[in-house]
Amino acid sequence: MKNQARIARRKFTNRMFLALSVAAAAFGLVWLAFILGELFYNGFAALSPAIFTEMTPAPGSPGGLANAIFGSVVMSLVAVLGGTPLGILAGTYLAEYGRYGRLAFFIRFVNDILLSAPSIVIGLFVYEIIVFSPPDSSLLKVCRASLGDYCPVGHFSGVAGAVALMVIVIPVVVRTTENMLLLVPNGLREAAAALGAPRSNVIRIVTWRAARAGIVTGVLLAIARISGETAPLLFTALNNQFMSKNLAQPIASLPVVIFNYAMGPYEDLHALAWAGALIITAAVLTLSILARLLENKRS
Amino acid sequence: MDANGAPTTSAEKIKVDIRDLSFYYGSFKGLKNVNVPLYDRKVTAFIGPSGCGKSTLLRILNRIYELYPNQRAEGEVMLDGENILSSKLDTNLLRSRVGMVFQKPTPFPMTIYDNIAFGIKLYERMPKSELDGRIEDALQRAALWTEVKDKLKNSGLSLSGGQQQRLCIARTVATRPEVILLDEPCSALDPISTAKIEELIDELSSDYTIVIVTHNMQQASRASDYTAFMYLGEMVEFGPTERIFTAPEKKQTEQYITGRFG
Amino acid sequence: MSDIALDEQMTALPERAEAIRRGGAADTRFRMLTLAAAIIVVGIFAGVITSLTIGAMPAIKAFGWSFFTSDAWNPVTEKFGALASIYGTVVTSIIAMVIAVPVGIGIAIFLTEICPRPLRRPVGIAIELLAGIPSIIYGIWGLFVFAPWFQEHVQTWIVDSLVDVPYLGTIFGGPPYGIGTFTAALILSIMVLPFISAVTRDVFETIPPVFKEAAYGLGCTTWEVMWRVVLPFARTGVVGGAMLALGRALGETMAVTFVIGNAHHIQSSLFAPGTTISATIANEFTEAVGEIYLSSLIELGLILFFITFVVLAAAQLMLRALESRAGGAA
Repeated sequence: MKNQARIARRKFTNRMFLALSVAAAAFGLVWLAFILGELFYNGFAALSPAIFTEMTPAPGSPGGLANAIFGSVVMSLVAVLGGTPLGILAGTYLAEYGRYGRLAFFIRFVNDILLSAPSIVIGLFVYEIIVFSPPDSSLLKVCRASLGDYCPVGHFSGVAGAVALMVIVIPVVVRTTENMLLLVPNGLREAAAALGAPRSNVIRIVTWRAARAGIVTGVLLAIARISGETAPLLFTALNNQFMSKNLAQPIASLPVVIFNYAMGPYEDLHALAWAGALIITAAVLTLSILARLLENKRS
Repeated sequence: MDANGAPTTSAEKIKVDIRDLSFYYGSFKGLKNVNVPLYDRKVTAFIGPSGCGKSTLLRILNRIYELYPNQRAEGEVMLDGENILSSKLDTNLLRSRVGMVFQKPTPFPMTIYDNIAFGIKLYERMPKSELDGRIEDALQRAALWTEVKDKLKNSGLSLSGGQQQRLCIARTVATRPEVILLDEPCSALDPISTAKIEELIDELSSDYTIVIVTHNMQQASRASDYTAFMYLGEMVEFGPTERIFTAPEKKQTEQYITGRFG
Repeated sequence: MSDIALDEQMTALPERAEAIRRGGAADTRFRMLTLAAAIIVVGIFAGVITSLTIGAMPAIKAFGWSFFTSDAWNPVTEKFGALASIYGTVVTSIIAMVIAVPVGIGIAIFLTEICPRPLRRPVGIAIELLAGIPSIIYGIWGLFVFAPWFQEHVQTWIVDSLVDVPYLGTIFGGPPYGIGTFTAALILSIMVLPFISAVTRDVFETIPPVFKEAAYGLGCTTWEVMWRVVLPFARTGVVGGAMLALGRALGETMAVTFVIGNAHHIQSSLFAPGTTISATIANEFTEAVGEIYLSSLIELGLILFFITFVVLAAAQLMLRALESRAGGAA
């Protein structure tokens, strides 16, 4: 009898905790639905063709987000084009040359810290090295003299914004490249080496090719990550009410415009902020789905 | 080669002479003072239970073990009178002379054509027409040409397991090695593909010195001229295949080939 | 025929040696290129620390250690202290972890043990989606939707019902603004949830099924198997995952900046507005005038980097130890 009571109690405990874990999953899913529901509701209400054609307005006047979208796309593009090759090379070093070494261990460690480092700190870093420059610095003088209006140093600029995003892209690409190269079976490397191929040939012609889909997935996820980044742009690219095609000047971006509009008191700008938020989320979701499809194709 | 009788040992030329060879994985001694000759244009089989060191021995002959840390070989492996373990020897040059085919087929993620061109292009530059000829020749030698001649632009991964393994043999042959190492080349294949590969080994042995590691004793007796039986990292017995299988001198050898252990 | 082949090989050897020499030189160049790229990664890391230290120097010289003990934040008199920001950062992160760790583990248990198989993938993806939503979306949602809803339906009720309870009445007291420290922490907890559940789930999957089977074989219930067998096995991994999530929470900027209220005071009520390091920097940096003001904000950034470095480094080391253990077992 006593034994049966004990079993009943254990069963009850079991049911209770399992119910709690169901509740935990429900907790997560409810928030997701709440956030996405409100985002779609408010975002679609504010969406119109003008969003894609008009410039960001002052309070009270009509407008769109065209210059912010343009700025975001351009800065992300520059960041990815610059960060991807560097990240792939560094990831290759970790997976292929350094794999067992102390130096690689250290670099891997540093990279993983950068991967999760607060993005606002990255913004401060780029502010310090590009935006801020003592007026008498020689770098600034040389830059001004040679590039004139296109000198990106010494003030807020699209270049500074792109560099900040690049610093965020690099560790993501390093990490995925290393992971994907480690998944390539050693048998392939051995087979190529057994033909007498130098290491660089083995890597460039065989292992990179075998890991290609995975690395592309990583790059897509890196783009998804930076397309919503706000903090590193606040004091690097700053903002610009007009369409600026000069990366040496301050340039608007979707996240910064959303931040400024949402923190202000104007209803019409709030609506624009919602539209911008919807556009960013749509872009991020599209990239994630693409990445996932690619991953499925690979496996 | 004379398939029925044992070749006469004394007259053969030694291509690779393994002398007093030991091998360490970290502090574990995987091979203990192994001595064995590999005769020119003959097939030598390494047999023995798993873990006996036969694959380890094979992986020393092209120094592929060097891809991994903490592995080291001691002793001498003379290839045409030159010690391949010497640090002065270029490993890539060595591997161009000593090719290797692995247990699992390892086609590269590229077309059938490129799989073979990869090895050739490492050493030679030539016009496309000549390259085409070399690739056809390699595929012919690997008895794969008729099966793939219309789909050279397909991925190497699209072939069946047996075809993939013959592609790997063709790829090795294409770089014109002198010695070919085969590490259990049929263990992942069905019986029909296995028979084809064995036939192929027989044909290739007229041009190349071949070493084959196998756990399949029938295969060793069918396909090889000489057999080396290894056990626990030691070379127990070496001799013409027919003698090893009909009149082994050592008790361990006899027990192994009659299936009493291993 | 075989003799011809041999002759070809002999004549080809010098040519091969030449090709290999070329390949060797290219090999060295390529190796150096990848090494250079890897060194640049370290350079970025060193650059972050160096540039922030240089930028923070005026503030470090002006305030010394008192920067850590003062909650003053007055741009007019140029008196700055980090205490309120550090307090807010730590408190929001701790509350977020208190909520997210059990819930995250619960989700991992749900996904590995309870969820019907066909639903596992979609539910798993949905939870991961929470990590994919950019933080600015959490921010704008928190400000316009969650904070008003929380204020109206939850906060008022909590404040009213706890007003006479000692301690709790103080911690959850004061006017219900909607925005404030607790709201920020709650949103943070939702953001880091997927990190914890993902790592936990991965670690659960590395545990050999025989252990679970053995426990079930003794007549254990699902909960007993999870609590007594699986979780002890997974402990290092779960703690590592939680640290990783903590690192994220400490440095999160936008989701917090929108809803925390940006008030430089340490208040006893969690419902009161506060600030965090990252929120202070995000709100004030572009408007900061004067060397000391700017430098104080950069010093805040340096402190944040240091705190997250310690947490993330601990997380890395724990997860890496686990990885090598799993690798060794395989």
